[in-house]
Amino acid sequence: MNLDAGITGIIMGGVLSLPVLGIAVIYGMTGITNFAIGTIGVFCAFMTWTFFSYGTVVGILVGLATSFVIGYVIQWFLLTPLSEKGGDSTLFFIVTICIGLVFTGLTRVLFPRPNISLLLPRMGTVRILGVTTSGLKIFAFFFALSVLFLIRLSEKHTNIGKSWRATSQNLKLAKTVGIDTQHVFAWASSIGCMLSFSGAVFWAALYNVSLMSGWDLTFLGFIIAVVGGIGNIWGGMLSALLMGMVMSYSGHILGGMWQSVVLYFIVILVLIISPRGILGSERSL
Amino acid sequence: MNDHYKKLGTLLALILPFALIGKVGYAQWVIGYVYLFLIQGYVAWFLFFRTNQPFFGYSVTMALGAYSTAILTGIYEWPLVLGILAGGVIASAVAMLLFLSTSRARGFYLSMISFLLAIMFPMLIDALRPITGGRNGIYFRGLRDMWSRGGLFALIVGSTVLAVAFLFWLMSTKTGKTFTLIAENDDLAQAVGINTFKYKLLAYGIAGLISGLGGALYVNYIGFISSIDVGVFTTTYITFIPIVGGSQLCYGPILGALIVFLLPDLLVPMERFMDIIFGGVFVAIILLIPGGIAPGLERLVKWAYKRLVRRRHDCIKPETQL
Repeated sequence: MNLDAGITGIIMGGVLSLPVLGIAVIYGMTGITNFAIGTIGVFCAFMTWTFFSYGTVVGILVGLATSFVIGYVIQWFLLTPLSEKGGDSTLFFIVTICIGLVFTGLTRVLFPRPNISLLLPRMGTVRILGVTTSGLKIFAFFFALSVLFLIRLSEKHTNIGKSWRATSQNLKLAKTVGIDTQHVFAWASSIGCMLSFSGAVFWAALYNVSLMSGWDLTFLGFIIAVVGGIGNIWGGMLSALLMGMVMSYSGHILGGMWQSVVLYFIVILVLIISPRGILGSERSL
Repeated sequence: MNDHYKKLGTLLALILPFALIGKVGYAQWVIGYVYLFLIQGYVAWFLFFRTNQPFFGYSVTMALGAYSTAILTGIYEWPLVLGILAGGVIASAVAMLLFLSTSRARGFYLSMISFLLAIMFPMLIDALRPITGGRNGIYFRGLRDMWSRGGLFALIVGSTVLAVAFLFWLMSTKTGKTFTLIAENDDLAQAVGINTFKYKLLAYGIAGLISGLGGALYVNYIGFISSIDVGVFTTTYITFIPIVGGSQLCYGPILGALIVFLLPDLLVPMERFMDIIFGGVFVAIILLIPGGIAPGLERLVKWAYKRLVRRRHDCIKPETQL
């Protein structure tokens, strides 16, 4: 049972790390905590579900494209102008919560069902240390890991990645040397929303996704990001795996009702002891 | 207008619903409900915007007041008044404890700890279902058994006026001015020898007490409390009250509470679109009227007044020329 819970926890952490990476990318680049990305991810997962009848790939591409456009538009027309006017973290908290409400409402109005489940290929079963688990779960875990490495690699070896780093480290200097920071911010927001969408798709395939799942993804993703050191993608990944294990073990030992209570209690405790999270740094990426 | 007149005007506006005491009905009930959240809105106005403490746990302190009163009175058979006071004291103690335990954190992280507590608290209530009733909640008669609906409504309005008057008075005292100084420049306040830690602790204690007492009144007025009533969105909406209404003006939270808690009531026929309209309206207010509705309204009144004066002046001018 212990090993089973541990493996389940690591896989759950892997899936959860996708919205966490989304939050980390957006915060690391723009300094904005976007509380809407979970609801945007779920909205796009509903979009994928709608287009699933045209084929799995078409559905996923439509979801990816929608999340990209939404992330780009929100950042370009709303969040960056607010940031330039001197908006503080409280203002962004309120604005992004309101955007989240709008997307929850749009999901309710535009789609006929309040909850969906996506039928992705099951990919058989895999046996790890005597524990049998679905191939899709393993795929989700390795997908999250790959995304993390891809972000890191592109940040170091591509021009756009270098402009990301420059923007996150020194905004004024980045502007001075001619980097289109508004474009960089919009890209970061788009990538964050696409990562959140990926998390929502895996969640919908492994469990199911409802209207309010967006908020669960946001809050879970957010606390995990905070524990890891918000903006720090390595910290986010490590924290996601740890928190996945905490949720899995507490669920096994104390029952489902206490699962989230224990998780939040530990998170609050970590923040009290180490206010900047496990790996620290506010805006590192 | 002088600040004193604005405060007096705010208090006078707050006592207007006393006219509805004899008229028991839906309007009275809704106004009582809005007033219960207005108390919380003024707590947010005081703690978040007057003393600059990034606190998001208003639903927690409110819930502590409500549940403590209901449980101590309903299960442990404490006298009602003692139960209500205990609710306030427990909420105040928890708010101060939260401040003490998070004193190492600053700004964003400090606000997030209280926000996480606001997310966790309804889950804790669900987990403690045998005592709290969880999502099914607990019914509580309390003052509803002793007082008429009109009397209870008067109590809510009176308590809100008292709480707001107290906060206005507090902000005009030496302690209040110290709060303002700390809010504007913490380092400067420390440099001139002010024990900022003590004052911040006091601010949390006062805010927790008023919020907890407000929660105790909530459970007495509504007669029911569940984990759904004190979810994370409750704390979010309470924070919206001064932001939407205007945090820099003393009557801002009144306008904020009217919009945040009356708008959903008006939108009942369009329930499916509620989230879209609600979120859209707030984003529009924040973008178009950054200081909130109250300063925008003041600017509008001043502009209208100037136009009126100019028009009268233009009308009088030809006569004087004659």
